[in-house]
Amino acid sequence: MGASDSNSERPAAIGRLLWSRIIWRHWRREPRLTFVLVGILALGVAVFLAVRLANKAAVSGFGMFTESIAGESDFILRPRAGTLQVEVLRQLRDEAGAVPVGIFPVLEVSAALSERPENGLLKLLGADLVALQNAGTYAGGGTSVSGDSAGGDDSILGLPDRGFVGAAFAKRFGMEKDEQLSVIVNDQIIDFTIAGVVPEDPNRPAVPDNLVLMDLPGLQKLSGLEGQLTRVELRIAPGTQAEQNRQRIGAAMWDLAAAHGWVLETPEDRKSSVTQMSAAFRLNLTILSGLALLVGIYLIMQAMEAAVVKRRAEIAVLRSLGVTPAQIRAAWLWEGLILGVVGAIAGIILGRLMAVGLVVAISRTVNTLYYETTTSAVTLETGEMAFSLVFGIVASLTAALIPAREASLTAPAQSMRQGGQGGGLALLRNWPLGLLLLVAGIAFAFVPPRVLASGSIVPVGGYVAAVVLVLSASLLIGLLFRPLASLLGRGKRDAMRHYAASQLRRPEGRHRLTAAGLAVAIGMSAAMAILVASFESTLTGWIQQLLKADIYVAAAGSNSVTNENTLSAVTWQELEKMEGIAGMDKLRRYKVSIGDNDFFLGGADYNDDPERFLQLMWLNPPKVKGPNSLEVRETEPFPGWISESLARRFSLEVGSEIPLPTPDGTKRIEVTGIFAEYGNETGTLVIARNLTRDWFQDDRVSNMAVYADPGADIDALLEQIREAFPGVVARSNENLKAESIRIFHQTFAVTYALEAIAVIIAVAGLGLALAGLLLERRGELTTLKSLGATRADIARASMWEGIALAGAGLVGGYLLSFLLGWILIFVINPQSFGWTLSYRVPWLSFIGLAIITLITAGAVAWAVGHRNANLPGEREE
Amino acid sequence: MIALQVSKVTKSYDKDPVLRGVSFSLEAGERAALMGPSGSGKSTLLNCIGGIDRPDEGEITIQGRSLKGMDENELCQIRRSMVSTVFQFFHLLPTLTAAENIEFPLQLSGMEEKERRELLPSLIEEVGLSHRSHAMPHELSGGEMQRVAIARALSIRPKLILADEPTGNLDSATGEIILDLLEELSERHGIAMLLVTHSPGVTRICDRTLEMQDGVLVDQSTAVV
Ligand SMILES: Nc1ncnc2c1ncn2[C@@H]1O[C@H](COP(=O)(O)OP(=O)(O)OP(=O)(O)O)[C@@H](O)[C@H]1O
Ligand SMILES: [Mg+2]
Repeated sequence: MGASDSNSERPAAIGRLLWSRIIWRHWRREPRLTFVLVGILALGVAVFLAVRLANKAAVSGFGMFTESIAGESDFILRPRAGTLQVEVLRQLRDEAGAVPVGIFPVLEVSAALSERPENGLLKLLGADLVALQNAGTYAGGGTSVSGDSAGGDDSILGLPDRGFVGAAFAKRFGMEKDEQLSVIVNDQIIDFTIAGVVPEDPNRPAVPDNLVLMDLPGLQKLSGLEGQLTRVELRIAPGTQAEQNRQRIGAAMWDLAAAHGWVLETPEDRKSSVTQMSAAFRLNLTILSGLALLVGIYLIMQAMEAAVVKRRAEIAVLRSLGVTPAQIRAAWLWEGLILGVVGAIAGIILGRLMAVGLVVAISRTVNTLYYETTTSAVTLETGEMAFSLVFGIVASLTAALIPAREASLTAPAQSMRQGGQGGGLALLRNWPLGLLLLVAGIAFAFVPPRVLASGSIVPVGGYVAAVVLVLSASLLIGLLFRPLASLLGRGKRDAMRHYAASQLRRPEGRHRLTAAGLAVAIGMSAAMAILVASFESTLTGWIQQLLKADIYVAAAGSNSVTNENTLSAVTWQELEKMEGIAGMDKLRRYKVSIGDNDFFLGGADYNDDPERFLQLMWLNPPKVKGPNSLEVRETEPFPGWISESLARRFSLEVGSEIPLPTPDGTKRIEVTGIFAEYGNETGTLVIARNLTRDWFQDDRVSNMAVYADPGADIDALLEQIREAFPGVVARSNENLKAESIRIFHQTFAVTYALEAIAVIIAVAGLGLALAGLLLERRGELTTLKSLGATRADIARASMWEGIALAGAGLVGGYLLSFLLGWILIFVINPQSFGWTLSYRVPWLSFIGLAIITLITAGAVAWAVGHRNANLPGEREE
Repeated sequence: MIALQVSKVTKSYDKDPVLRGVSFSLEAGERAALMGPSGSGKSTLLNCIGGIDRPDEGEITIQGRSLKGMDENELCQIRRSMVSTVFQFFHLLPTLTAAENIEFPLQLSGMEEKERRELLPSLIEEVGLSHRSHAMPHELSGGEMQRVAIARALSIRPKLILADEPTGNLDSATGEIILDLLEELSERHGIAMLLVTHSPGVTRICDRTLEMQDGVLVDQSTAVV
């Protein structure tokens, strides 16, 4: 009676009361359940963080060092195609005038270890070491080549066969100062000596483990690129005038670059262009982070729902005693907050550990594809930590709020009724909304993509469609329970199976959340599998079509898209003259840029046998076909074939003209054919090699396809080539095909690992859900036992329930995956990297995954049932 | 003073009418038994009076305050200060000791700790549980649990106690003791009581009996007042 109206003004006191008397007591009384709850939360956060950290580490390793060869450069000047001549340095000096600016010429050459070419490409970086040493006068930290290891007598200036390596390199190959290293540069084998090891310095990015730093003239001599540069870096001296100077130099350089057709970049521009990983791979990682995020949220929701549902009756009692819904809500939010904080912190620690493992897997993949990468250590930045903390807390608050809201709003009389309809999320039962979302999701898929200022295309509609479809699947999954229940309950011989079916006939929120979580994990993994399978079958077909020659010859390391090693004219001409060789297709590849967009230019020279020459896979074939069809015109515009990706990036079609920058000026190329190419998504333009030879003053080739005389012994010929030219890589047709497929599989290896984690976590969530449900049904279990059910019977019932839940997740997940796969292949994929793929479902692995999931789920559920069968029944209900 | 006034209350679940116009009233300190076949709507009526369910139509007035149009917070205030409910299945909070269960509504209504500590022993004493006050619910017998529930109901010094088959889950001897306890407390504190029951024995502590059938009161036999 006393304090009748003062209560509403004392929310804090009541909050404390609920906290100390109810929530805290629960935690103390059931520490194991609390622990599992926090553990599941932590797992959710950990998966999320690990994927983010690993991605970041793998991506930032990518070309990070190159940006800072001269400390932080202000500008980078590079040619649109080919190389720069050293003469530009004088020009730059003149332009700079009295402005204090450091000018650092750089030559970059790719190479391979001659004994271990499978270790991927090395990068030889030639720089003006004297200038670098002096760079200390421009700013506090230049590259530490100017440190002890480069000083003293160990001068390497001008020596073509001496270079510095970073500590990571030395460790990777187990090498020390003064040791010999045998590398292949272009088609030559060169022995060189490690002049020193650059120690690691925490204040600077580590020297990558594939980089050798050399003196510029030495490398120019070594690579046969005398007087040539890949780029020039400019660095403004710090001081009061620095900003002013930067603007002056920037303006002057801009004019110079425009006049000569060079590209002027800031390190930021460059970073974004170097880090342009394979779009397919990026997409892959995006989906995986999304998967981690969603599975994390479902786990957290499920954990919180379990906590609330378990106390449904208690909430009712509290309300009958006069606690307001708002107060109950507040108490549960506090609980969510505290569990969220504890879980997120544990998750951050766990995620950090998981990331170390993942980053190795991801970098290995990236390494296979691109050479400019190095595993930078996983760093746990404050930003990432805060982000994960916020994610964990927000997710757990959301997850706590929705069920708590519902629990506190149900009339208490309903909650107290024995065996009343399970509470949980009314939202999850809203299947009409699910249908609506399904339609909306499909509609979103048709929204055209967004083109960013940078020219990259973002399939916004596709991504939104995928998210909406995932949500829709979560709502529609409930519809599966009834049919599954009747399937399970058919043939009433096994009473326990019948009992399990009855549980599904009135599914609780937990049933739905569990099945939805599983469906999302399986749906997204399976969709990726569809993408990979479609990709694989398309790629295999393409390789079959493309690879018709007997032997393929290239400079070492040519698997990589970024390989720039070439074969000299002498080498390929000698090779062509070898006994048993009928003809060759030759390709010289360059990287060129139009505007801000890089792409590949190929100079092709086809075997003149009308039957045996490179057969591209045409999407839009040229009118004139045959080996010499690229050479039909002598005057501008010259005919050129483009790949699908290039057509999409530059919106080109047959008949379009391309202004191609070359060292010989801009040339007009007319598109006469469009071909399919799945090797890179930057795009390729192919023109006749005699044109590139003249324009680039270069008769080298990047790779060749060799046709043997009919009836020739291919293996013997291969042996002969390898013997005569130890600096080249020669492969048989089968070997190259197998190698391509191997690289393909390696690219997606990390996908499989992460998908497995997602599914395992979802199954673990199923185990927890069943444990919670059984805890709640203690009364029922007592009744079952009083009716003569054994512990094994109860375990069996639980097993059937688990299998049925997994079944719902699988059916829903696969249905979802067909839709998501469709969006990936026909919406996101063509929009973001422009490859035409044919839709293929890997039925065999789908069936495999289903069987494994069902068995694991059944086993986990059985164990949970067995464990909980002997719990003492609750006496007060 | 009229403790409870129920007029023309109706309630249906999924269009099935459960209460079809129920009217009656209870004076302060008056005890009434509510009887009737299973499914006739007794618990539903009790839930509506206790404010943990809402009637479709009609009006319920407790101590002159109409529940009609009250929002959930106002209903909470009524439950905290005027009406208590005792259930057949006790509904104790499983994580609190007997004493803590009894103390809980007092804490909820914001009573100072000093005051509570003075009041609590007498409450426990009143239901005769002094020796078990630190036991957890699952360590108590049914009769003991019901005593805790009654003490909990009593703690806020309500004007009205609603009891839904308070002895339904107890053996008859224990039931008798609980009934005596309820009568004694009602007399001493002037609390009106509405007891739903199936056993005619309960009527011995009641001033009158309300007979419910198919959602209406059929007989309001007034016993000695
Ligand atoms: N939440 C509900 N949903 C649907 N029907 C309900 C609900 N609550 C009660 N009923 C129905 O209302 C009718 C009256 O139920 P009520 O619990 O009031 O009966 P009762 O008189 O208390 O019976 P008993 O003596 O067996 O306790 C019953 O037919 C019951 O099935
Ligand atoms: Mg009843």
